[in-house]
Amino acid sequence: MKKTSDEQLVLQLDPNAVSPKTKARLLYMRKVARPWLLNLALLIVCVVMLYPIISTTILSLKPPEEVRRKPPVFLPCDNPTQSFALGACRFSLEGYARIFLLRPDPASMFGFVVTGRLFSQYLPNTLFYATAAAIGTTLFSGMAAYVLSRYRFRGRQFFLVGILALAGVPLLTMLLALYQMNINLRRLLPGYDERWFMVIVYIGFELPFAIWVVKGFFDTIPRELEEAAKIDGCTPLGALLWIVAPLAAPGLASIFLLAYVNVWNEFIANYLLMSKATLRGAMYGVYDYIAQSLTSYNALAAACIIVMLPVIVVFLLTRNVFFRSMLEGALKG
Amino acid sequence: MSIYRKCWSFASVIIALLVCVACVAPPAAPGASSAAPASGGETEIISWYYYDQNNTDPQANERVGNFYLAKTIPLFNEQFKGKYTWSNVPHDYNLALDLVTAVQNKGDIPDVMRMGASDLPTFIVNNTVQDLTDFIKSAPWYSELDPKALTACTGPDGKLYCVPISESPYVVFYWSDLYPNGFPKTTDEFLKEAAALKSQGKYALTYWGSTAFDGEAAGRYYFQVLSSFGGGYDDGKGSMLLNTPENIKAVEFMREIVTKGYSSESVFVGNFEEEAAFKDAEAGAFPTGFFVAYQYLNPLTSPKGTAYKSATAKDMEDAVKAGEIKIAPSFAPEGKQPGCHNDVFGFVIPNGAKNPEGAKAYINWVMDPTNGVDWVLNAGGGLPVAKSMLSNAAFQTEVFKQGATAGAASDCRAWYGSLLKIPEAKKIIATTLFDLIKSNPTADIAAALTKAQDEYNKNK
Amino acid sequence: MTPRKVRSGNFIARLLPFWLLLPSLLIIGAIQLYPTLFSFLLSTQRVESGTGRQLFVGLANFRRLFTSSEFTQSLVHTAIFLLGYAILTMSLAFGVALLLKQRIRLTPVYITLIFVPWVISDVIAGVVWRLFVVPEYGQFSPFFANPSLFGEPNGISILTSPAHNQISPDFPFPPAPALIFLIVAAVWKILPFITLLILGALQTVPTEVQESAAIDGATGLQALRFITLPLILPMLTVALFNLILGGVNGVGMVFSLTGGGPGTSTEVLSYLLYSLGFSKLDFGLAAALSVFIAILNLGLITLTLRTSRAYEENI
Repeated sequence: MKKTSDEQLVLQLDPNAVSPKTKARLLYMRKVARPWLLNLALLIVCVVMLYPIISTTILSLKPPEEVRRKPPVFLPCDNPTQSFALGACRFSLEGYARIFLLRPDPASMFGFVVTGRLFSQYLPNTLFYATAAAIGTTLFSGMAAYVLSRYRFRGRQFFLVGILALAGVPLLTMLLALYQMNINLRRLLPGYDERWFMVIVYIGFELPFAIWVVKGFFDTIPRELEEAAKIDGCTPLGALLWIVAPLAAPGLASIFLLAYVNVWNEFIANYLLMSKATLRGAMYGVYDYIAQSLTSYNALAAACIIVMLPVIVVFLLTRNVFFRSMLEGALKG
Repeated sequence: MSIYRKCWSFASVIIALLVCVACVAPPAAPGASSAAPASGGETEIISWYYYDQNNTDPQANERVGNFYLAKTIPLFNEQFKGKYTWSNVPHDYNLALDLVTAVQNKGDIPDVMRMGASDLPTFIVNNTVQDLTDFIKSAPWYSELDPKALTACTGPDGKLYCVPISESPYVVFYWSDLYPNGFPKTTDEFLKEAAALKSQGKYALTYWGSTAFDGEAAGRYYFQVLSSFGGGYDDGKGSMLLNTPENIKAVEFMREIVTKGYSSESVFVGNFEEEAAFKDAEAGAFPTGFFVAYQYLNPLTSPKGTAYKSATAKDMEDAVKAGEIKIAPSFAPEGKQPGCHNDVFGFVIPNGAKNPEGAKAYINWVMDPTNGVDWVLNAGGGLPVAKSMLSNAAFQTEVFKQGATAGAASDCRAWYGSLLKIPEAKKIIATTLFDLIKSNPTADIAAALTKAQDEYNKNK
Repeated sequence: MTPRKVRSGNFIARLLPFWLLLPSLLIIGAIQLYPTLFSFLLSTQRVESGTGRQLFVGLANFRRLFTSSEFTQSLVHTAIFLLGYAILTMSLAFGVALLLKQRIRLTPVYITLIFVPWVISDVIAGVVWRLFVVPEYGQFSPFFANPSLFGEPNGISILTSPAHNQISPDFPFPPAPALIFLIVAAVWKILPFITLLILGALQTVPTEVQESAAIDGATGLQALRFITLPLILPMLTVALFNLILGGVNGVGMVFSLTGGGPGTSTEVLSYLLYSLGFSKLDFGLAAALSVFIAILNLGLITLTLRTSRAYEENI
């Protein structure tokens, strides 16, 4: 197994591996040396983890002749005499221009329209799938988890273990049956919209994990609150809506986010189930760029950046919710 | 609780995105509106191409076909107003398999699909396409079709399953400056030239050597070389036959090209990366399908530094006209005729198509000489198989003349011969040959070839 | 207050759990359970060539699967991938988690930044890593093409170089550079998640316990072995679950990073499943493989559970 030198360095700096032997050294380490070493080590880890994203961003900003340069350079900022000169930087938005494909249109609000299919088809589709599936997942998992947390009935344990066991079945396995199901439904139901089928499929994929996580959250909410409310004349449904749900809001929010990101990033189910490109999502958009502009790496990189940017932004804004749900889900699951 | 603030910020991001998309996106995708049931007696003809009429990227890989559809669909709909509307559902390169799945499961089935004849065995095995014998034989353009192309559309039962429109023989495109004495006719001469080019820092050859796209390589360079040595993939009776003395010699020859460094590493990457070496004249020659070279090899930079940069098929036209690129049949060992795989492109009408009559009207429309020339140049690729189209001025240019001559000088046939399980055969052949010439250049060729053919024949 | 009304109220109240559970039951049943059972059934069938009829063939699909060389190959690739993936991820994640556990002012920032790769999709991650090693143009290509580092006349090229097996061409180890690269890319993607899991567990270990152990003369390794590890063992098991499920089932990255190549050197089971089902349209064989994968997953998870229990008891 190869490790980059950076990661080896990190391992050497592991404070437990170089554990101090005396109290004085311990103190010295804690007060002076350790913060510095830690900062350095963590900084290196961060750079390693973010490097692929940074370099893709730079690639997306390179003009075509820089993309096809041999040997490649990290920054297209060299001139014949210097390896780096700020003035010589040749950045270009050509890659992005090929994704946006702006066309002047006086009728439009901004004076132009975006004709790139990533924007006219794929991103709106993904936005719809992710939002609808995340709402559905949150709603249904909340309802089911409440029951599983508050009631004892026959088959409860079986259900909980069963939905986990389904996680071991590869997703690809299910797609043929779902493909046929979609076709049959379309034949049977007039006015059937495949988009909603896709949403239901996504909800189905997300539900088992979501139910476990939300159940975990509900389990931590004391029952006494509900009992008190019920004595005051509140129905069980009311108790769920007005007492339990608000208290479990962080858990529900994190499930919403997780489902959102998972659906946003999903490719294979969407690709194989939706036969029309007009119904496919952003990941297919990226795949489409692999197929349609195979060797224009700047355009490909730009497509990647555009598609991953929204989830990164969402993540940065809501990171604590993410962290909590992940830990919670992992512990309960 | 800070969680609410987080939720709000999340919601605002989503709303902002929604607003952006709503403002910037065109009011309705053109495809969406035309997909609605047509009114007033018009029936809809649904086609499948791997071109996308909505892709306006001027540098997209399939730009030629994309623009062809964007231009032609409105023209067709105008001409057939009140009778037919043509709407195209774009697909990726997987469309043949998509069609099989769709027909098997009675899903979204198009009325007509652009296909290559190498998809036909798969369609026949899976009962995917309609028998078109009567339609083709009674059509006015039937007498004009090249009998060879009709053979490519004929199933094992003698019925015609596809309408051939264009064909693309596999030939060699080369930079005449790098091969000043013309492209070598024999393999021995080629190796000498290749050594000379290597000393100049050039690659003699670039080709599709990767196993990408489920073994697409089997029908390309590999077959070109094997068949030039007199070899092939089948025994003529539906079984795979790889372990023949001719094939072994061909593999040894291909090995030599790789081990001596006459081709670059990028030939094995896939995703058409190998084309780059020919485009900037790093590699002297490119054995490939005529239509691949004509439609996709642009822009070009010659060894002298002349740039052809319109990024359309015009670049190849110009380079051939200027004599910088020439087209030749493949090399072959002394005394053998160069082999080649002949791609035939055309249409199929799938089983379960809702509007087969419309599809036939559409095919007839494409077969009209003017529309047909347009189709062959932009959507089909290669040379037309109908005489009336071939005589069109568009095909009298240098590049088409040289291409036709080189194709005629080769022994062109379909790479799969009598094999029927194309997806399996493709993958087995491509991975075996790749393994022999690239991964294990010392492995026993005969043993590996036998193992591969047994693997295919086992489940026949 | 009429009796009827009371009863109907009770009726709704009594069945409330059922109504709440119903949507989830329906959806999971339709989207997960039914397709699973369907493919189990499909694994005993075969489509008749020419007519498209389904024929019952018993276990013939499994026999076909187990005797095909593709299957053996991809099983070996999966095993190598899984081992490399699990070991590398676990050790790196443990190291990073130990670093993050030492609270300093910027720790939250570091955690956030380190976590970013996790939200990126497999397909995009694959593309990003592929762009690094495209021959000649990729950023890392000159490094790998250096003959003094990687031998060979021209070094290696991740996307095209084969495995160098001195023993026999069929011997699967060492794996092809592409498979190692795939492992590294996959580790990069999953590392944040596993790090967070381990960090979460480490934070439940009281620092005083560790420090007193250190003062008592326990070396770092001893403290790790006897104090930290037992406490975080459950979480490590959970992390392993995730790694196994993700490693066996994940296909997106193979799809966009190597496409199974060069040759078949990165063809793992999940990729084989895709290619059997959707490029060869051999659904019976694909279904047989998915049954095998499902059993493999359950087996691996049970094994992990057993080992961690046994380990817990030994301490």
